[in-house]
Amino acid sequence: MQKSESLELPQRPISMSLLLMAAVAVHLPLLLMKLPLKSYDTNFHIFFASHYLHHWFDPWNPKWYAGFSQTTYPPLPQQWVALVSHAVGLDLAYMAVQLAAILLLVVGVYRFAKLWVNPRAASIAALASIFLGSESFLVYSAGQLGTTAAAPIYLNALPFLFEWIRRGSWRSFVKASILFTAAAAAHHATLLFGSFFFALPVLALAFLDRENGVRVSTPAFLVRTLIITLAVGAAIAIVLLPFWIALIHYPVTQTPIPHPSRANYILSPQWGLNYFVVPYGALILALPFIFMRGSMVARLRPLLLGFWVAFLLGLGGTTPVGPILLGRAFDVLTMERFSYWATLLALPFVGALAAELFARYRARAAVSLAVLATFTCALAVGWTTYHPADAEDFDVGSAASWLNRDGHDQYRYVTLGFGNKISRLAMMTDAGSVDGEWNSGRMLPELTRYGGGPLTSSKYFGKPGLDALRAMLSHADHYGLKWVLVRDHYYDPLLSFAGWRPVDNLDEDTITIWSKDGVPPATPVNAPQMPPHWQGLMWGILPFGSSILAILVLLIPEKRQQEAQAKYRFASDEDRVPGRMVS
Amino acid sequence: MNKGGLLAGMLGAATIGLVVIGTVWPVSSARAYAGGQGLLRSSSTPEAAVQNLGDQIRAQAWQRAYESLANKAQFTEPEFVGDLMGYYPNLRTYSGVDHVEVFPLHASDNDAEVQLKLYWSTVVGPSVSTRDLHVVRDGDHWVAEWPIVKRPVVPPQVIPVNYLRWDVIYRGPGDDWGTQDVESPHVRIVDMHPVQRAEGLVILGELLNEDVVPAYVSVTATLLGKDQTPFATEGSFDKISHLLLPKQVTPFLIQFPGASLSDVQSVRMTPFSTLVPASADPVIEIDNEHLNPAPGASLTGQLINQSGQVVNVAHVLGTFYDSTGHVVWIADQYVDSALLPQTPVPFEIHIPEDLARKVSSERTVVASYTAGGVS
Repeated sequence: MQKSESLELPQRPISMSLLLMAAVAVHLPLLLMKLPLKSYDTNFHIFFASHYLHHWFDPWNPKWYAGFSQTTYPPLPQQWVALVSHAVGLDLAYMAVQLAAILLLVVGVYRFAKLWVNPRAASIAALASIFLGSESFLVYSAGQLGTTAAAPIYLNALPFLFEWIRRGSWRSFVKASILFTAAAAAHHATLLFGSFFFALPVLALAFLDRENGVRVSTPAFLVRTLIITLAVGAAIAIVLLPFWIALIHYPVTQTPIPHPSRANYILSPQWGLNYFVVPYGALILALPFIFMRGSMVARLRPLLLGFWVAFLLGLGGTTPVGPILLGRAFDVLTMERFSYWATLLALPFVGALAAELFARYRARAAVSLAVLATFTCALAVGWTTYHPADAEDFDVGSAASWLNRDGHDQYRYVTLGFGNKISRLAMMTDAGSVDGEWNSGRMLPELTRYGGGPLTSSKYFGKPGLDALRAMLSHADHYGLKWVLVRDHYYDPLLSFAGWRPVDNLDEDTITIWSKDGVPPATPVNAPQMPPHWQGLMWGILPFGSSILAILVLLIPEKRQQEAQAKYRFASDEDRVPGRMVS
Repeated sequence: MNKGGLLAGMLGAATIGLVVIGTVWPVSSARAYAGGQGLLRSSSTPEAAVQNLGDQIRAQAWQRAYESLANKAQFTEPEFVGDLMGYYPNLRTYSGVDHVEVFPLHASDNDAEVQLKLYWSTVVGPSVSTRDLHVVRDGDHWVAEWPIVKRPVVPPQVIPVNYLRWDVIYRGPGDDWGTQDVESPHVRIVDMHPVQRAEGLVILGELLNEDVVPAYVSVTATLLGKDQTPFATEGSFDKISHLLLPKQVTPFLIQFPGASLSDVQSVRMTPFSTLVPASADPVIEIDNEHLNPAPGASLTGQLINQSGQVVNVAHVLGTFYDSTGHVVWIADQYVDSALLPQTPVPFEIHIPEDLARKVSSERTVVASYTAGGVS
């Protein structure tokens, strides 16, 4: 009876306009509330954008680390923020770009999922992406604009890759190549790891499907794979050339900085909650289904394997997989992005599961899944309240005003106890700092030698952090470091014994400004790392240009496929055991 | 089971297996966040029991550490924490345990003596504290007894203070340090010479405030090469007492890690001074000083806070002279407990073995930090 009922249900996909409206309804209010500003990295991205706003063609930013190159981080989302900020200001521009990324994700997940499951299940997967815990976690808690912008572009490129491999369509080749390049311009790590987790499964799927519909010979498959690999590789090499030059000349060899995403989530359950329960949410309940369905259906196995590896890496130090597969990169990368990719890879399964549950249990399934999705999204969004990036919110306006007056900005400064407010402060002041939040961009030996993070949070990095702080303070004269802005009296004894004196108080004595006498005014340092003008031009034109090109080529209409989608043997139509949903 | 079921089973089993491996034998980063331990840690030996206790102290898991003690009935958890961290803000307040080491001293079937070395990372540098723990067998495992040191009880008393104080009247409220239009206090380097050590070149010396006003001082040294071009500049940082009252002398030590004396033609010394308000309070008396010969050469003594306020952190700087009165070495120690009024606190400054033989006299100065007294 149940089976006959399910056949009567509509199998049409949810319309894209409805999906986009749902995404807007869920995320637009949260973004208009500027919720991401409370996250770890949002202010960092806005700081980068503020530099592009004023110096589009000069990636040398003197405000952190006594000068550093922004070519060390792909610029695309930040440049879009800078551009949009002309109309609405930096904060709202960030929210607008983030919203665009969320909308792109809905489209990308639908298109990606349609490779694996039927259109209805794919549309449900797209709907699920709106409520995805890991997406909300990265947007509202981690503030990873680069990752959340690159992934949707990448997902949108994959169907074109599939089409190119399957049919040899040059339109698809061009679209895939340009979208992959734009994704790399948004976030390099997404492209690198996405190739393993997303592209390889799609290539495997194309290989498995080579006898299905339009036949593809194995040599043709290999040649097309090679062609697009070379083309995309060359395009990315050119578009991000200043990035590669910076990476080759100044590789990231600094002492690794601890990050709790590399903890064992069982031994450290608080981090398990943060990096596993919150990002996965109710998706945890679907894990058995993912493993079963992914194993049972042959053409889903590549997707399952991609998911599995990303899932294991996302568990951080809970398994030895991270150090084994990533080597030293395990101590450099943060692991929450792997969980994000794993959940994206899980969405086609989730779509299939939900479609089957809808077909079988109708309203009961709809209500249950809606509750679970809402709970997952709400937990990840609300997590910023229960686990805030900064324990205390405060305004850095007075500190910025102080630095900007009476010639104080002739000298450099460092903050202690400001958390990730240092990005906001750097945007508001003309003075330069020896600290910063972009660890891979720093070159000062006092910072790279010890394995501490930002100086402003030195104490949280234990001995390495305090060693770095002492090293920096001991070379204050060399860097023109005259001011230390202190919001945490933990550091007072060090400053006192090291020859610094309190000279002013701000914000009802919550901020004390310490000064060192006899420090000469700051002069430019790190000159060898300064990119030449031609690199600045490339950096200002090519990454942003790749996104413009991507938008333009997407306007080229696709040839109507002669081969109906129904000819594909979607996962939901094959190999299933009747009556076994989650088995 | 079909192929799909087998694959699902294998992936599931592999996942569980990898999680078990990662939990029983955690990778270094995971172990660091878990307080230095895996899931399965027993106290099957005296050393393991003390190591577990040390890991709990390192993770500041005070309750777990206290609950694991055999003699916890003799004191409360706050007393245990106070014994470790101090009852008043002190150097421990500004520190955390970086790592611990355990050394067996003596063992029998039912009890043992184990030394616990706590390597603290403090805001002013590393510090080590040592406790010898008695460990007793309790069934199939061992438990440590904490050698509690009870808080000193200071009797209520009135301490009259009568100290010198210098105030500075500025031109206006907008004045900043370093923009004063008054002459800097006169200071003079009264002794200076370089010493080659294994870790690099060290400049030792003494600075005198010749003026009748207090001075805030620092010293910078620049090494000049054979062609008279400067190739390294360093400052005295915290190896100096920055506040000098009139006619006071401070030692200073400037380190050039990796530098060699053979590359140096000359050294340019730049003393810096500026006028500051100051007071002679708190007065810290140095008592029972004693030069202990090698091996284990050191200067020991006691600090006694003569004022009525608690001194949170004290920095002892020892200057060691040879028989001709020249500076041989300068060494320092941050005292890890607060100085309560009239309560002696011991200090111990280590002297390098190779220099200890040359030392015939010493002079000690103390710099202090009082919380809330800086702004």
